[in-house]
Amino acid sequence: MNVNRREFVKQSATITAMVGGGFVALGNGDAKGVASSNPLRPPGALPEDDFNSTCIRCMRCVDACPNHALISIPLGEPGGRSGTPTMQPRKAACMLCALEDGDYLKCTEACPSGALQLVSKQADDIQENVKIGEAEVDLDLCYSYNNWSCGACYRACPLAGEAMTIGAWERPIVHPDLCVGCGCCERSCIRYPHAIRVQARQS
Amino acid sequence: MIVQSLRRMTQAGVIAILAAIPLLSLYAHYRSARSIDDPALMAGLRGEAITQHIHPFVESLDDPQGFLDSNKGTLWSMRLFGIDITDPLAAIEMTFATKSVYWPLILTAAIPVILTIILGKVFCSWICPAYVLFEVTGKLRRLLRFAEIQPGKLRFSHSNKYLFLFVGLGAALIAAAPLFALIYPPAVVSRAIHAWVFGTALMGMLILLGLIVAFELFVSPRWWCRTMCPGGALYGLLGWFRPVRIKLKSELCTACQECIPVCEAGINPITQSESIECDNCCACVRHCDDRALIYTIGLPIRSSSKQSRPSPQRAGRAAALLVLLMAPLVHSSPAWGHHILGLPHYSYKENYPQRPTLEYPATTGPYSVLLTSYPGIPVPGEPANLAFYIKNKTAREVYGMPITVRTLQTSTFGDNVTIMPPTTREPFDNEYKFHVTFPDDGEYIVELTLEVEGKTEIIPFLMVVGEPTATASIAVFSSFGMIILFVVLRAAQKKRARKNAQDINTHSQGACAATVKLHVLAEPVCGSHESQ
Repeated sequence: MNVNRREFVKQSATITAMVGGGFVALGNGDAKGVASSNPLRPPGALPEDDFNSTCIRCMRCVDACPNHALISIPLGEPGGRSGTPTMQPRKAACMLCALEDGDYLKCTEACPSGALQLVSKQADDIQENVKIGEAEVDLDLCYSYNNWSCGACYRACPLAGEAMTIGAWERPIVHPDLCVGCGCCERSCIRYPHAIRVQARQS
Repeated sequence: MIVQSLRRMTQAGVIAILAAIPLLSLYAHYRSARSIDDPALMAGLRGEAITQHIHPFVESLDDPQGFLDSNKGTLWSMRLFGIDITDPLAAIEMTFATKSVYWPLILTAAIPVILTIILGKVFCSWICPAYVLFEVTGKLRRLLRFAEIQPGKLRFSHSNKYLFLFVGLGAALIAAAPLFALIYPPAVVSRAIHAWVFGTALMGMLILLGLIVAFELFVSPRWWCRTMCPGGALYGLLGWFRPVRIKLKSELCTACQECIPVCEAGINPITQSESIECDNCCACVRHCDDRALIYTIGLPIRSSSKQSRPSPQRAGRAAALLVLLMAPLVHSSPAWGHHILGLPHYSYKENYPQRPTLEYPATTGPYSVLLTSYPGIPVPGEPANLAFYIKNKTAREVYGMPITVRTLQTSTFGDNVTIMPPTTREPFDNEYKFHVTFPDDGEYIVELTLEVEGKTEIIPFLMVVGEPTATASIAVFSSFGMIILFVVLRAAQKKRARKNAQDINTHSQGACAATVKLHVLAEPVCGSHESQ
């Protein structure tokens, strides 16, 4: 292959652009590096780093979610996570497919790559294998801890009495080891800004 | 010609499927929420498609829920009528990113792999929706040339794409995250269609596709498909020994070279129709008046001419690629899988996944400030409730002193307009409430003044109310419109000029006018063609 100078410059520019563009697209160029929480992942998701490399960004789980709770992170978000599924419980929470037919959670059934492990709808399977995150109450915002009485989150909780118990003046108490992080409490909170939030697991 | 119309029908069918799948899944959402009769949800084009077409069709089936469950996904990985199909590139890239072999995914790539081994790169020319987009771009270049505007004709080496496949898989291996999934145009187009149907954010994808289209339109014809596409590279390698290929009957060929400008793959069909670059798109077969180029089915490769063999460089690269492909199979330990380049872990805004419709965070000193608005999306002309919540996260203490807030409307020309003069409030229930009426759609600044550790801090929050017509997008769209108008006017003008010239010609010389026109329309046949 005889290469003249023009060809050489063109080739080198192309290769540089490929390598550089590749790493910028993967989000290594993010300068701010603000330490904050992981995105919330669907039920049955692998730990965050494994999930990020296993998920092939096909959006099947987004299609499968009967509650429209999963959204795909739009292209252009830093961190190389665009295209992966996440939830915004404030808009729509995970209903654990409670009203659907079928034996398995629909998103876990749809995943082709094993990023979401199959979870059945048996109560103990859900309790054991679903760990979207855990709810956290901001005691300065929650009405029940500030001279009012509310209890909306307790009524929304699918595991009420286990993951969340209720004290005097309807004060919610979250039990982190039992909470699956479905986000129904966050969805139902009547306070702006909402006083209970699901924090993603940090693994 | 029948092959060409079959190809167009396949392409249209694929795009229809890509739009139908998200519609079906939207319908599944509404179906399980029992809200299919809600007129508010079913307004607009999307709702009409669902109520008029999807709803009667799905409900007439024997097992509606089963049908809905068996159609999901995008072109990157799809369940179609219950059959799982995955792009081989997705399977390979995921293998690299995870450094482990996950057979359930790899086996779903079997159908496209087998089809490619038999039929060659037909995924590109028959199925890929981005190929359609870039074909249209190619046609637009023809319009540009017709208007006598010369678009750039920079050519890059066709072997770049093999290199890019190599680099991208290496990046996936090192960074433990897929790269092609984000930028591979068929996946992006497919996801953009999905996002458009769902009504979610698609700006980033449109920008990416727009950049490629602009580059192809003005700088380098069919740049992505011919020289960059990693999927094309992979399919080319898989289809190296395809039995179905286009062959030249050299005894029939008159060397008229009509096939060279029409080739979608940018090669010379006369000499290279059997190389791995050919994507069996049928353009050359269709344009060959001598019927010298024909589809043939034969046993794997016995090259009829010397030039058609893959070049040594290409073969070398393919061999290197195959070695790289084997790497994760040999070394499938996940031990060094992560953090090799130190991917930024948590680069989202602090409360990214949980924000309600409008929530603006900020930090000052030890305090984190949260501005929320009720209703979630303020309506112009109606009072909105702005609430500030200021908390010291480490000491878990709420800021208790009064704060001052003023609101301004930004204006492109001249000074900002004051909507709410500086107002000071005491906290109530640990938050500060302000009532503001935003007069109309636009961008506003909510300026917070508070004292932190004896110093006065001013934090501006930019709020977007309604759908302001952003100056940037106006500029982009109007200039785009102007360019199109200019090109069309110029094309019309040139057409008239040519017609006049032709009339004069017809009067003076007669028959040769038709050939002149033919040569103007076709891509100029020039010796500088890259592949020769």
